Amino acid sequence: MGSGNDLASAATPASRLSRWLSLDAARLAVGGVLIAATASLPFWPGVNSYFVALAVRALIFIALGQAWNVIAGLGGQLSLGNGVFFGIGAYGTAILFTQVDITPWIGALLSVGLAALAAIVMGAATLRFRGVYFALATVVISLGFERLTRHFVDFTGGDAGFSEPFLGTSLWAMQSRGPTPFLMLSLGVVVGFYLLTRVLLVSSFGLQLQAVRDEEAAAASGVNVFHIKIMGLVLSAVMTALVGAIYVQFYLVIDPTAAFGLMQEIQIQLPALIGGLGTGGGPVIGGAFMIFVSELTNWLASGLSVHGLDVLAFGVLLLVVVLRAPHGVLGTFTRRPRASTNQ
Amino acid sequence: MTQALLSGVLLGGIYGLFAVGFSLVFGVMRIVNFAHGELVMLAMYSGLTVYNLTGIDPLLSLPLTCLLIAGLGVLLYLGAFRHFVGRASMQQLLVAIAISMILQVGAQLAFGPDTRGMAQSWGSQYLLLGTNFFSYAQIAAFFIALFCVTTVEFILRKTRWGQDIRAVADDAEAAELVGLDTHRINTGAFALSCAIAAVAGSVLITYYPVNPETGFTLMPITLIATVVGGLGSVVGAFLGGIACGVISQVAGAVAGPALQDVPLYVLLLLFLAFRPQGLFGRRVAF
Repeated sequence: MGSGNDLASAATPASRLSRWLSLDAARLAVGGVLIAATASLPFWPGVNSYFVALAVRALIFIALGQAWNVIAGLGGQLSLGNGVFFGIGAYGTAILFTQVDITPWIGALLSVGLAALAAIVMGAATLRFRGVYFALATVVISLGFERLTRHFVDFTGGDAGFSEPFLGTSLWAMQSRGPTPFLMLSLGVVVGFYLLTRVLLVSSFGLQLQAVRDEEAAAASGVNVFHIKIMGLVLSAVMTALVGAIYVQFYLVIDPTAAFGLMQEIQIQLPALIGGLGTGGGPVIGGAFMIFVSELTNWLASGLSVHGLDVLAFGVLLLVVVLRAPHGVLGTFTRRPRASTNQ
Repeated sequence: MTQALLSGVLLGGIYGLFAVGFSLVFGVMRIVNFAHGELVMLAMYSGLTVYNLTGIDPLLSLPLTCLLIAGLGVLLYLGAFRHFVGRASMQQLLVAIAISMILQVGAQLAFGPDTRGMAQSWGSQYLLLGTNFFSYAQIAAFFIALFCVTTVEFILRKTRWGQDIRAVADDAEAAELVGLDTHRINTGAFALSCAIAAVAGSVLITYYPVNPETGFTLMPITLIATVVGGLGSVVGAFLGGIACGVISQVAGAVAGPALQDVPLYVLLLLFLAFRPQGLFGRRVAF
């Protein structure tokens, strides 16, 4: 008993940090192996740029799930409007770069700031609504943005979407001919978001956010519920917009459906729901699993020459998870009580 | 402008019919059936398939479509929604979204991804009134919707079954205490909602082509019509649908087709903020 405490007090700041975040040896080992494996992916024998691009797609998807997990998993607010922030990040960065010649590094920061503002306005308007009403309000805001981007063709490119010119590999333009730099960038974002989620699980702000989720009436006695919800939405928005900026620099095109469409709003939720809502590792497992399922079904579908099998698989997965395993893959296998989101 | 107003009313009748079916399930068992649009879409395919095979008009094959869609609805209720009666929770919304995705892909696998409609139909003929023109199908659709809503309202007000449904909607626990079988009544109300979706689909297919995403794209307007009219109110949902039809047609005429639904989104936010019970609904607690 005593010796353990002595060891802890004599520990380095790094190990104290990992203790605070409950990053035990198992988590550090698994995390280290996954990071090393992903970062070294381009140098594996037999891995071509298709696989690396696929990994980037998976990481972007995971990061969007991690961002949604903050407001929905930790805060208990079923946002169907995170596409708004994704779209602001993507369109903002691309438009600033193409029209005003601002480097995407700065453009991404400006867009993230804009998304934070949008989250404050949107949150102030909608976060007083409870449960399903909040979900409905956020989804129509997202659909409103979709219509506006379709209408203002000169500014946004309309239905066809907004394309960035490709300037070759350039740090200033945040563009690359091969996918490897984006692999490193998106891996860094996913690791950062994971650590941020772990901080939220134990920090004062994160605990307040979870208190609002678990028992809003009780939380109101010690917490400014509305204020905490808005802060949660802003954090989720900042993370989502950052991913939007990386997305548009990687794919060099963004269109209204990919940014604000209803299906996009639904897909953003799946990594956290499938992996484990309100956990650090859940969106990572769920997102990776979904990209695997999507590739598998696409491969099957091209064999059978049918389309939409991936959407079918996602639908069935979602149904099974909500009805049979409400704590997701992680919660089911670790058998620990996890986030409840009953409203 | 007269054209936009009148088209809006006619179109709104159909929106109202979507909203009535959707609102019924919400009012009685507090379930947000996000897959309601998919039921309409499947009804459209049902009518179209019968028409293509036999030449029978979708309005005449309506009983068959109603039976199919209501049967599917009962399966969905017993298999999934039953677990969520009484609380519009996040899980319930997610289950409905999952079902909507599965039904969409199901339709795509069964009927293909392309948009299909009835080639030659009485519905594509137009009635000229002064300088305004209206398709016969839209006019017929409006009156069928009106008739259907009146029937539903009559069932709810005047029949024993309707009184039972309203009793469960008011207070499920009390209804159970006085000996009502709430489970059976909920199943029946869900089937009725699906039958209304089947009527909407059968009418719509006479002038509006269908693809697997049609139901999904109709969902936002259904939600808005329901909230504006008042969650759980049949007449309110119908009038909410008409309001949505008029607003979107007028906005489309003034600001261009891409923006025609934007005023509706704003309207929904205003209603949620200032009058969440809608025009005709009662305040419900979540």
